[in-house]
Amino acid sequence: MSSRLRGRPLVRTSYAQDMALLNTPAKRRSTIAIVIASFLVPFLVTDDLLLVLTLGMISAVGAIGLNLVTGYAGQVSLGHAFFIGLGAYTGAVLGGDPDAAVTGYGLPIYVWLPAAGIVAAVAGLLVGPIAVRLRGLYLAIVTLGLVFLGDHIFREARDLTGGPGVGRRGPDLVVFGIDMGESGVVLGLDLAREQRQFLMALVFLIVFAVLARNIARSGVGRAFSAIRDRDVAAAVIGVDLTRYKVMAFAMSSFFAGVTGALYYAVVGVFEPSAFGLLLSVQYLAMILIGGVATISGAIMGAIFISSLGRISGEIAHVLPFISESSGTDGLLSVFQLEAILYGVLIIVFLIFEPRGLFGIWTRIRNYWKGWPFSY
Amino acid sequence: MKLNRHLVRTSVVIAATALVLTGCRSSSSDEDSGAGPGISDEACPDAVNPDNGCISLGVISDLTKGPFAPLAVPITDAQKAFWKKVNEDGGVGGYDIDIASNIADAEYNPEIHNRKYQEMRKDILALGQTLGSSQTLAILEDMKDDDVLGLPASWNSAWEFEDQILESGANYCFEAMNGVDWAVANRGVTGKVIAVGYPGDYGGDAAAGVEAAAKANDLEFEKIETPTGQDNQAGAVAAILKAKPDLVVVTTGPAEMATIVGGTAAQGFTGTFVGSSPTWNPALLKSPAAPALEALFFQAGPWGPFGTDTPGHEAMRTALGDVTPNDGYTAGWTWSYPLLAALKKADEDGGITRESLVAAASELTEVDYEGILPPEAGATQGDPADVAYRSSVISKVDPAAPTGVSIEQDLTTGPTAEAYDFSKPCFSLQ
Repeated sequence: MSSRLRGRPLVRTSYAQDMALLNTPAKRRSTIAIVIASFLVPFLVTDDLLLVLTLGMISAVGAIGLNLVTGYAGQVSLGHAFFIGLGAYTGAVLGGDPDAAVTGYGLPIYVWLPAAGIVAAVAGLLVGPIAVRLRGLYLAIVTLGLVFLGDHIFREARDLTGGPGVGRRGPDLVVFGIDMGESGVVLGLDLAREQRQFLMALVFLIVFAVLARNIARSGVGRAFSAIRDRDVAAAVIGVDLTRYKVMAFAMSSFFAGVTGALYYAVVGVFEPSAFGLLLSVQYLAMILIGGVATISGAIMGAIFISSLGRISGEIAHVLPFISESSGTDGLLSVFQLEAILYGVLIIVFLIFEPRGLFGIWTRIRNYWKGWPFSY
Repeated sequence: MKLNRHLVRTSVVIAATALVLTGCRSSSSDEDSGAGPGISDEACPDAVNPDNGCISLGVISDLTKGPFAPLAVPITDAQKAFWKKVNEDGGVGGYDIDIASNIADAEYNPEIHNRKYQEMRKDILALGQTLGSSQTLAILEDMKDDDVLGLPASWNSAWEFEDQILESGANYCFEAMNGVDWAVANRGVTGKVIAVGYPGDYGGDAAAGVEAAAKANDLEFEKIETPTGQDNQAGAVAAILKAKPDLVVVTTGPAEMATIVGGTAAQGFTGTFVGSSPTWNPALLKSPAAPALEALFFQAGPWGPFGTDTPGHEAMRTALGDVTPNDGYTAGWTWSYPLLAALKKADEDGGITRESLVAAASELTEVDYEGILPPEAGATQGDPADVAYRSSVISKVDPAAPTGVSIEQDLTTGPTAEAYDFSKPCFSLQ
């Protein structure tokens, strides 16, 4: 057994201690604190903000998936929207209302959620071998082609998707017999639907974040990092490029698939134009702004980008020349402000803080580590 | 340098905490001290009558990016002007009506429409405007759960069968029938008629009307679907030129309609075009397609355009003041009359709540449209086949008129619409 030396968190005396997920007491305590605080958030925050955070947390899983393939494995993928769309429609078709005009089978969540991930992962497995032969910009263009292919398929498959401009409902969200779409008393607590969905999304995020973190610190994760840094050198030391690149795409697509299914189960109605290039770029923005190759960065970036609409609304309240509604009275309307902020933020982060929000967090943490001698 | 950094850091921390604090839940989750959600005894923000309570109406429209933004912005402005006039006349039942605080832009996208509705569903008594047939359908289930009444910025035939929806004016289905009947009687249409429209409810409803009218008038019928976007109309143009019909009924947005008319006319097409009501925008007179539109295009609409001489139109022009004329204003203004009638009826029946408003809305026997439409046009009590309004106005393009169109044939019900068995919606998506 190991004997932990008090006050010396970085002295590792056993392999288990070295490999532990939370290997210092500070990490352990802060993680537990964050998890407890997150479970208390639904009781402290208003419902509309809860919805924003819920969608942010679900997108975070998708961002984590993209981080696995682009951040850890270095394979530029612009096709994330395609896998999200595949997962969303698989979930909607398998879990949707059988009596609607579009196809639906009414299956429970423990069928449609994994199925969404698996269908997307299979698609990722098919794309993976292409990645082996291409790098960088060429891979980006090929994965971009996936998005347009998906766009066409989703528009044409009217029976499954409802068609452009019309859309369909997502799957019904019933977990362990609890209907996430309704408000009322469950397990002795009076929970509104936004609160229920928040807690469900929180559990979902924790499960997948731990899963991704474990992947990242395992042999597979080390192989990914080797491939990212120099794939020729990785091949020389014995990392099987084909296997790990295909694995990277399959894993990230699985994450994207489950994200798509759950996200549109919460949103309710969605239509094929949602899965265009803009969605792929949004996820890339999440990981770039959040911090590439870090799980917590992906989560921070996802929640930040998802709340951008809300943030620009709050800014509009404060600044006088932004008008709230149709835009005839102010210099800018709040919708235009959101679009502008989005682009400006990406530029600002890439120039001033390339490590993203995680980099900012690291700076804050290092400042306080050395305080009062932080200079 | 150092001071700058400290300043930046502290201001960021303050801004972040401020943002976080605005999101805190208040101890009383139901802040409305009134009869229910959307109605409160406190005065509206910037209230005209500070002693009145406040009724909140929501608007979910297409204000920036979608195909109907040029019409939807005037629609929303006209509704703001309408309710301001109502407030100036004393409000309803001791309440002022506030429509400006809950305006959302859904970009003609059902997903965003649903999201915006989720954001406002607890704060509003009713929806003063929900734009788009498929978009409104996306939130209809939730509206029923919440018992929220909605005024659609669309004329879908399905609305006659929904108690939750309070529509005005003849629907796209009857409008298309009236358009075809008029064209057969006045433009010598004999052979083939094509219906070009968006996929989904909007185009599908009108296409169903065209099909019925084609059958009644012994014409060949073909349906073409076309997507939104001016750059995406090449397929529709090619299909029209290939089929060479005598009449094309267009059910798209204004820009797309102009592209189709201009594109086919440039290739020598001389058939008649009849457009559904939302296909006209006065700005089209400045587009390259203007000569073709003047020669070939006619608009089938639910009521007279902006410059028509009726008390209601006059009241609208006075309330709006000096604006560039646009029939979006006419539509927004006219749509609001039934809601006013329903609010007054709910107030008389014992008090305004969401439930009483929905009940009152389905029990109207007439609505005072101040001359824009006959009072029985607003009747909702009874079988849709009996009370649905079936008359349309046919307008021709007239550069001298305020909104670029003037009446060619005033409110008339064509033979097909008169005889049509309206027992279910013309086009059903669900």
